Amino acid sequence: MSGERLRTILAELSVPGAPAARLCDVSTRLIGVSGTGIMLMSGDVPQGSLCSTNEASALIEDLQYTLGEGPSVDAYRYNQVVHEPDLANPAVARWSAFSPLALSAGVRAVFGFPFRMGGARLGAVNLYRDRPGPLSDDQHADALVMADVIATWVLDVQAGAPEGDLGARLEDGGDFHYIVQNAAGMVSVQLGVSVTVALIRLRAYAFSHDRALNDVARDIVSRALRLE
Amino acid sequence: MRREESLIRSLVEMADTLVDDYDVIDLLTGLADRCVSLLGASAAGVMLASPGGDLRLVASSSEAMRVLEVFELQAQEGPCLDAFHTCSRVEHERLQAGAGPWPRFAAMAVEAGFQSVSALPLRLRTVTVGALNLFHVGQAPMDERDVVVAQAFADLATISLLQYRAAMEGQRLNEQLSAALSNRVLIEQAKGVIAERAGVDPAVAFSRLRAYARNHNLLLTNVAQAAVDGTLEPSAWERGPDL
Repeated sequence: MSGERLRTILAELSVPGAPAARLCDVSTRLIGVSGTGIMLMSGDVPQGSLCSTNEASALIEDLQYTLGEGPSVDAYRYNQVVHEPDLANPAVARWSAFSPLALSAGVRAVFGFPFRMGGARLGAVNLYRDRPGPLSDDQHADALVMADVIATWVLDVQAGAPEGDLGARLEDGGDFHYIVQNAAGMVSVQLGVSVTVALIRLRAYAFSHDRALNDVARDIVSRALRLE
Repeated sequence: MRREESLIRSLVEMADTLVDDYDVIDLLTGLADRCVSLLGASAAGVMLASPGGDLRLVASSSEAMRVLEVFELQAQEGPCLDAFHTCSRVEHERLQAGAGPWPRFAAMAVEAGFQSVSALPLRLRTVTVGALNLFHVGQAPMDERDVVVAQAFADLATISLLQYRAAMEGQRLNEQLSAALSNRVLIEQAKGVIAERAGVDPAVAFSRLRAYARNHNLLLTNVAQAAVDGTLEPSAWERGPDL
């Protein structure tokens, strides 16, 4: 990856450790919205909130967790971006339980962006604003890039990544070397796990052996290495 | 079949896919394949821009690892990147390892067996979404008439990507590009699943994946998803047209 948007995001996240809360803060500030919440999902079920910026975005997360409906739930379920620029006057009626409660907390517009790595569907980002209106093209593009960063971050953290490693691998485009994805598919069959778990296991192996993800993947595909 | 008939048939087939529910990766793979089968290119690849602005490979006429790696390198340098950034054609260029406008790219391309290269933008009016890359094992430039046809194929593919012309045009396009790139990642994961289940390499796995989708009239992406989810019976991959 080499885009300007990505570099800006990574510069903001480059503080050592980059705890989850920072993801939400950076997202909110760079995209220019009122708040961000990141929901982890599995099999259509919200698994919990990774972070949220403020009370309103925490409420948006909680409501979706409790009610099973809302922008993040739909973004994840349909694997596409969900736009609701005017929650009080939606073009299509939806989220009959979610919307009135979110409105009463001052939420006027909500957007859901899925984050995924191919078949590894990990969750969705919720962006909200306290006034109605669509995202600008720039905000929307920033949010799509942010969703990719979050996907890599979530996999890295679950694999026990060393601190400060995220930026280097994103800039190297590690996950977009297709051999890494081929290897993930092979490992998922070998170990009888989902492709999400396979991606995490591959990373964990690379981290613990201090090797590049790409090199490990190459060995898996050439069948020189088999994870136990 | 005469050449003109083949070309017209190709254009009609490609236009036909735009009417129905179609698979972007499959369409672009067909574009790359036709540049080889009809226009005499030795290999062809299609790269699309991510919302972050970088180019990534989405379709190739060859799934051989070393060819894919030459395409992947072009996220950093190469004719595709130039065609994308300048929004115009990159003329036929003879390759010399370590020299010319793209020294690293040239070295890898030569090692993969190519001697010359050109690239065309995927562009419609003011919007450029990526580039089509043509490789040749010889040094001779493509016949100019073939380049014109290649650009026509590329234009048709671009129209298919840009067909949502709703109010939020830029956003729809970015979502579609993002989905296409994500689908390519999914397909790579599916190649790995099939490679392991059938005991073949990823290139053969891709041709089986594609053949299965064709034979069952399913979208490539949906079959890839089923492979990754393990919801297709493993016998689906046991035999197929191998490379």
